[in-house]
Amino acid sequence: MKTKLSKVSAMLALLLCDVAQADVLPAYQSSSQWYVDAQTKLTEKLHTNNQFKAKNVILFVGDGMGISTLTAARILEGQMSGEPGEEHYLSFEQFPHTALIKTYNVDAQTPDSAGTMTAMMSGLKTDAGVIGVREEVVRGNCASVAGNEVVTALELAEIKGLATGVVSTARITHATPAATYAKSADRDWEDNSDMPEGQTECMDIADQLVHFEHNLEARYTGVDVDGIDVVMGGGRRHFLPKDAAFNSADAVSSVEGDRTDGRDLTAEWLEMYPQGKYVMDQTGFDAIDPATDHKVFGLFNESHMQYEQDRANDIAGEPALSEMTEKAIDVLSNNPKGYFLMVESGRIDHGHHAGSAYSALTDAIEFAHAVKVAMENTNPEDTLILVTADHGHVFTIAGYPKRGNPILGKVVNVGATEPATADDGLPYTTLGYTNGMGFQDLGSETDADEVYNQTNAAGRHDLTNVDTESAGFHQEALVPLSSETHSGEDISLHARGPGAQLVQGVMEQSMVFHVINQALGLVNE
Amino acid sequence: MTLFKYSLIAAAVLGLSACSLEGDDGKDGTDGSNGSDGVNSLVMQTALVVGNSQCPNGGVQIDSGLDDNRDGVLDSGEIDATEYVCSPGNTSVNNAELLSSLNNSWFVAGQQEIASNKQTWLDATAVASGKNATTKGPGQGKAKNIILFMGDGMGISTVTAARILEGQMQGKMGEEHQLSFDKFPFAGLSKTYNVDAQTPDSAGTMTAMMSGVKTDVGVIGVNENISRGDCSTVAGNELVTALELAEIAGKSTGIVSTARITHATPAATYAKSADRNWEDVSDMPQAAIDAGCKDIAWQLINFESQLEARYSGLDVDGIEVVFGGGRRHFLPKDAAYNTPDAVSSVEGDRTDGVDLTANWQLQYPGGEYVWDQTSFDAIDASTTERVLGLFNESHMQYAADRANDIAGEPSLTELTTKAIDILDNNQQGYFLMVEAGRIDHAHHAGNAYGALNDTMEFAKAVQAAVDMTSDEDTLIIVTADHGHVFTIAGYPKRGNPILGKVVNIGASEPAMAADGMPYTTLGYTNGLGYRDLADVTDSDASYAAAADTGRKDLAEVDTTTPGYHQEALIPLADSETHSGEDVGIYVRGPGAWLVNGTNEQSMIFHLMNYAGELTEKADAALPVAK
Repeated sequence: MKTKLSKVSAMLALLLCDVAQADVLPAYQSSSQWYVDAQTKLTEKLHTNNQFKAKNVILFVGDGMGISTLTAARILEGQMSGEPGEEHYLSFEQFPHTALIKTYNVDAQTPDSAGTMTAMMSGLKTDAGVIGVREEVVRGNCASVAGNEVVTALELAEIKGLATGVVSTARITHATPAATYAKSADRDWEDNSDMPEGQTECMDIADQLVHFEHNLEARYTGVDVDGIDVVMGGGRRHFLPKDAAFNSADAVSSVEGDRTDGRDLTAEWLEMYPQGKYVMDQTGFDAIDPATDHKVFGLFNESHMQYEQDRANDIAGEPALSEMTEKAIDVLSNNPKGYFLMVESGRIDHGHHAGSAYSALTDAIEFAHAVKVAMENTNPEDTLILVTADHGHVFTIAGYPKRGNPILGKVVNVGATEPATADDGLPYTTLGYTNGMGFQDLGSETDADEVYNQTNAAGRHDLTNVDTESAGFHQEALVPLSSETHSGEDISLHARGPGAQLVQGVMEQSMVFHVINQALGLVNE
Repeated sequence: MTLFKYSLIAAAVLGLSACSLEGDDGKDGTDGSNGSDGVNSLVMQTALVVGNSQCPNGGVQIDSGLDDNRDGVLDSGEIDATEYVCSPGNTSVNNAELLSSLNNSWFVAGQQEIASNKQTWLDATAVASGKNATTKGPGQGKAKNIILFMGDGMGISTVTAARILEGQMQGKMGEEHQLSFDKFPFAGLSKTYNVDAQTPDSAGTMTAMMSGVKTDVGVIGVNENISRGDCSTVAGNELVTALELAEIAGKSTGIVSTARITHATPAATYAKSADRNWEDVSDMPQAAIDAGCKDIAWQLINFESQLEARYSGLDVDGIEVVFGGGRRHFLPKDAAYNTPDAVSSVEGDRTDGVDLTANWQLQYPGGEYVWDQTSFDAIDASTTERVLGLFNESHMQYAADRANDIAGEPSLTELTTKAIDILDNNQQGYFLMVEAGRIDHAHHAGNAYGALNDTMEFAKAVQAAVDMTSDEDTLIIVTADHGHVFTIAGYPKRGNPILGKVVNIGASEPAMAADGMPYTTLGYTNGLGYRDLADVTDSDASYAAAADTGRKDLAEVDTTTPGYHQEALIPLADSETHSGEDVGIYVRGPGAWLVNGTNEQSMIFHLMNYAGELTEKADAALPVAK
């Protein structure tokens, strides 16, 4: 370490020249890289942003991306670029503003994605499992929807004349994306075959997506909108008839479609938007020209899109989340009034449910990459970017691993080279879950969901000869459950751009809507 | 929207014949017969009301066609084309149509909070946009007092669970509750790793927070060039702490902890040590003693002279308030020095025969040395200039176990209140560090009850500080040094007892895992595991037996008792471990608005330094500068 000026030399200098300054801190402290970096960051923080109104808002939701996931993904991304990892930052961890977010639903201590995303999109908390309706609804009861529908930020942006977009790696009818556009007494009503008999007055979620424009116009007096401009995700099965004749080249099942009403919603969409582009694979995606294509409907998988690390195994090929994000921004930017875009990384959550830290973290890294793409393609002066999660997972970073120890590896203590052993004489991994399907060693398998074809193996296992850093390793778990569960602790909200300053302290999750609303001026004051 | 092009077609065009290719001119033909009169073209306009499917906001429908039956009316069968001219759509919704949202209490609260957050931001940054922002930044120098509250091991999951428990104890459902510092205006995240450790310890983390520089695990007040346990590497690597800067600047200083006052967290405010374990001379290797390193207890008692020795001509008055446990490190290993509060037959550990409490009294004849509730209560904050309180042989009791202390001891809230009362006698202001050291210990013992109760007591101490100070001159920072592998699991319904078994939404009986047994909401990934010690409030009782990890049948077990210890996966008899994820920083007062984003833990020093102008004021106070 370089020494600028020692205390002794400072004192000597004083004898010669009385303009010299005393240094209460030794130079090795004040010139330490830690010290200097912090001073630099503090200086950046002092630049105040007093712009409150935004032209564009992008809401990024990392489904299930709790605080421990952020830290572990940050370390993994850093280690993949050859650093120790801990000192690294995910793209959005450099955002200037943060809050901690209380995630519970009105009826649930530990929430689900339907209730949480409704809170974020509509500004009020509601029950677990319901979409776009307030807490007076009775889950699963269609009749209780009427009168309890609540408006979303996406709808208000649409009404205001902004371009709108919804992007997800999950089925586009899944809870998180659905809460941007649908009203449903049950998150599971993704297509008509999922709905109970006799509730015909309620529309399934896929139907609501395709007929969003009409439904919105019918709901609010005098409203004339042009519909959602960009829709990209998975879930094609909910839009196609249960008839092999409608299978796409990307079909996984023998009959891809699930709809029992014989309707092909993709055809209905094209009928309404003859200039629109419906795409279902990488080739179709690549052919979208944002300069001329102003309406895009992409359904890239029968069910969820692939885990990022499993994407190469997609039958017809599909774009990465960062590619979809960039394309979405390019298309939406055609609207001079601005846009609202929601981007979900849906499979961080699924990787955790499957007990696969590898999948959860690599999807979180791709998510951070998508945020970076958004940062590079927008102007921080006019675009508010919010990055958050809906809830966490029971996912922990344990033991006392030394600095730079592979985050997916076994715990190796400070000063040691061999894994530490527990009281059962066996090594243990840094990452673990308190419940779920537990241990699996599936080698190079990149589809985390393969675990559901195995028997539950919760509890301790001998990992001595297991490569815990492989794609197919699933962490040990304590309580045996058919799927690892969400967790109830606070998650974080990261913000940059106009209006980001209002992200402060510890907030209820419904504040996300109000931050968006303030920035875009959606609801009349 | 579908729009039809408006076109008019004259009937007369029907009579025209097409031109043929050019050829030789032929003979003129005969005149044809006159055609019949053409029919009139008609256009009809119809007003459309709001809600029309073509024009949602109303407009005009324009039908056109030929009056084939010549009745002067455009009948429906005569319409050839239809066009719509729509009124522009509303670009906002009338609030009357948003009542399902606007009448909702969550929504209303959100609208109010946005307005208040905006005001908070504008107030906090007002100075920035104002005068002389080039030389002095916003809010600079406005923090006369700084209080750093350290919840040892208080990760994000601990804060959430403690919030729910405190709410439930007040008869609420719990999740909506706010701990005192949940209400603070600003929050950031803190990256906790040490220079050599992915998951850190309290020594490295507290050194980072107190000195602005990250360092190795296990070392106190020295930088990363140290070799842990090697006394000879200390010299030249000592770091100056915020407490020392405040002391030099003429502020009053105080340290409060429920742990031993020589334990890593409090030690990092005042000591320099190659090993956190050198709490007294008997803990040190002979080589370190011979090389001249001093134990941590000795450094605390001799803080004033040690600090003065580091700066030529400096004269400070020493730490005014020291409250905590750890009496054993200050007393000779001789039963004659036992207090009535002694737990062991010989309370003291010191093998050098020195009674540091007597040494302290000698230095500060006006100071008061106290060691139990009675003597604590007797301190008159308005007249007492200095106190040393050592309330336990080792750590102070868990908050839930305090009634079992032999001679009685004050709560963290009482300690905090008294400390502030004494420190605020100084017009220059003060620096105070308050640690809840036993949140960490209860987690290590796998006892959520203990950890959450100590967190609640910690939050209460923060509230006491809030009540006694003004956010216009006092910066209060609440944070943790690291988390624990402690999770809030399953899908318990709202208001389900946080210490209970998971009961799903709509259910009244506990949910069953795949092994057919119920499971608790709270749990640990590793540690000693399950214990059912019923009403035992000393979390450390779990160390009496070997680790008992894995699943247990909890059907008949009351998991909400003080003595219940949660299940764990990986057996670690040493103790449940820390965790590596970020922890929260919660702040109010001058400079609080700078706490946001994700930060290295060492940023906390820089915030205190900036808000309190610590290095500037200390520099100015150094005799050499005059």
